[in-house]
Amino acid sequence: MPDAVSSSLGTAKPNPPTPKPFAPEDEAALREALKRCSPSTFEAAVQFRKTGNAEHVPAVVIGVIERFVEPDLRIKLKDADDDLRLIEDLGIDSLTMMEIVILVEDVLQMTINNDELRNLRTVGDVKTFIDCKIRGLPLPKPTKFIPIEHIGSVMPVQPPFLFLNEASVSSTAANGKYKITGQEFFLQGHFKDNPVMPASIMLEALGQLAVLYLLEGAPTEPGKMVSSQMIFFTGCEGVRAHRQCKPGDILTLSIKPKRMKMPLATFEGSIRVGQEKAVIVEEITLTFGFVDAVNQPVPITVNGADHGSAASSAESAAATPPLRVAMGG
Amino acid sequence: MPRVFLTGLGFVTSIGNDAGTVTRSLRELRHGFELYPPFQKPDIPCKVIGTIKDFGTDSTDPEDWTFPAAYKIKRELLRTMAPNGLFAHCAMLQAVADAKLTEPDISNPDTGLYAASAGSPFLLHHHNDRLKQLGVMRCTPFGIVASIAGTLNFNLIAAFKIQGVSCGFSSACASSAHALGYAFDDLVLGRQKRMFVVGAEDGNVDAILPFAGMRTLSLQTDPNLASRPFDAARDGFVGTGGATVIVLETEDEVVRRGITPYAEFLGWGQASDGYNVAISHPEGGGSAAAMKLALRAAHVAPEQVDYVNAHATSTLIGDISEARALRSVFKDAARRPLVSSTKALTGHGLSLAGAMETGFCGLALREGFIPGNAHLTKIEPECAGLNIPLTTKNTPANIVVKNSSGFGGANVALVLKRVA
Repeated sequence: MPDAVSSSLGTAKPNPPTPKPFAPEDEAALREALKRCSPSTFEAAVQFRKTGNAEHVPAVVIGVIERFVEPDLRIKLKDADDDLRLIEDLGIDSLTMMEIVILVEDVLQMTINNDELRNLRTVGDVKTFIDCKIRGLPLPKPTKFIPIEHIGSVMPVQPPFLFLNEASVSSTAANGKYKITGQEFFLQGHFKDNPVMPASIMLEALGQLAVLYLLEGAPTEPGKMVSSQMIFFTGCEGVRAHRQCKPGDILTLSIKPKRMKMPLATFEGSIRVGQEKAVIVEEITLTFGFVDAVNQPVPITVNGADHGSAASSAESAAATPPLRVAMGG
Repeated sequence: MPRVFLTGLGFVTSIGNDAGTVTRSLRELRHGFELYPPFQKPDIPCKVIGTIKDFGTDSTDPEDWTFPAAYKIKRELLRTMAPNGLFAHCAMLQAVADAKLTEPDISNPDTGLYAASAGSPFLLHHHNDRLKQLGVMRCTPFGIVASIAGTLNFNLIAAFKIQGVSCGFSSACASSAHALGYAFDDLVLGRQKRMFVVGAEDGNVDAILPFAGMRTLSLQTDPNLASRPFDAARDGFVGTGGATVIVLETEDEVVRRGITPYAEFLGWGQASDGYNVAISHPEGGGSAAAMKLALRAAHVAPEQVDYVNAHATSTLIGDISEARALRSVFKDAARRPLVSSTKALTGHGLSLAGAMETGFCGLALREGFIPGNAHLTKIEPECAGLNIPLTTKNTPANIVVKNSSGFGGANVALVLKRVA
């Protein structure tokens, strides 16, 4: 019986390419199957079928997704990053997802199970998923959308020093939002009669998102999990602030892991307000450690996440260790 | 009791894909028949159908279909449609424009939709073949909603965001007449303020050819002679597909929106033969009973009826049954209404027939003409005594009866009145 961690990593059987000879009739069938896709999609599919080389897979997958997206939304795929969401950004519903899967299965000669599909929420999820299937690697954790209650229950940082309202975490990135309410205690003094979100706090918010990534999205060793007690800030490089952020602004935060090797994890990060750049961080590095995953320390229930009142927030803030990733100043 | 009016029409038929063309075809008795290419094979004895022009739906892949550029239909909608769904979608757009309905008029709890089609045997076969050949999980997730009976209502309800009552009707060639009748009831009972009634059929090989086994299809090779209701030389019906959409509204809505209706829908009746699964009652028992009930519900005496748009499909038995039914309802030979079957022009639209021909009656009532019975040279002796005009009369009818009959001996009669 598989333990909890390995099952959460995916139990899919490896699905390595079977190097069958690629016959002319296969090419004709492939051309027919991909007749509404771009020529480059067809070319990539031919190359993959001939060589089994997985580097052609992303082009095929993106080409197939593009074919099922309404023409006026296809522009979004042109220079899409992996965070582009299938439902919200591309208008792909679950039935269209089935169409995509059936065509990908047909073209790449693979089989995808229904329960594997539910977790594919971004273009990056799909690319990573297909790539893992082709290479016979264990499947990555899917993008998780994490509501505020859950953030509060897993994070070592607590209000009034928690700067994430919502977040989504995948194995390759984390994204979050924070709305500057104007009630933040430090805005009373930063600055006099002119509340501006401190750049250091914005860095702190990115750091918190990286903490959430380590706890919820990062690959772990079998039987291990990242300990929320063992994450600390070590340093950052290339920090630039581009825009003053004030009460009412909604910060859109994103981090991507650049390197991860016990005990250090290095991320790049950015904060935007709408389309405007606010903060760019080239590198932000945290240290972390593993503990055994036998006992899940924090039950994830709505009832267990009572951070609604100021009193309980204060209590829980007092009960948890002091802030680990605060940058100070 | 609220009065009910026909306020909008949409057509994709063998005799025209808009109300203007259909009206001209009805007035000038222009038929819509052609030699149907897939039937031009030695082992297929029937050759002619009522073809739908300007639509290409031969492919099993809706993205291959062609249709007039005026209709913009997203792939998201097209992918779940059968050919009859495409025809109906286009007819629906026409009817919405014709009735001058806005989006809030269409999508609200007081507006419903009833539909009738036989589903799509064409796509059902295709998807089941794929299932057997490629495996269960390689079938499109849309196979079911695109092909089973009900595909028409599923698609239209979703595409037009219908929030009121909805369902499909399945009484074969009486289906869309039943749909009209029950839509009328919903309006009269105050359950709805507006109803879309839709009839549609694929009208392709899989929809029509199975009738050859019953020996009910005309084997004529001349498109000009194939459909001859009430004629002594008739030899079966000619199949067709397409779609018709009729908008029905209560008087309050007609007044509120300030539109001119095509006609008033006075009432309807239905009765069953209780006789045979596929053969109509030799004396037209159910059909006569349906007409009598319809006239009673509409408070109309038989002598007041000016025109009957007959069900008459050009089959040997069916036309005689209906002629007998008509003679028994309209007893006074001197005051019988004009009777014609417009299936002489369109062919038999099966589930579509009732709605399509009720739409024709709406056009005739508004435009003030009575379509003649085309292709009639020598009347079937058993149909003698009916007042069948060979050419179109440019005189307005005041009261019109529309007959429809389906398998199992289901009969429906609808009564319409000219709006003064």
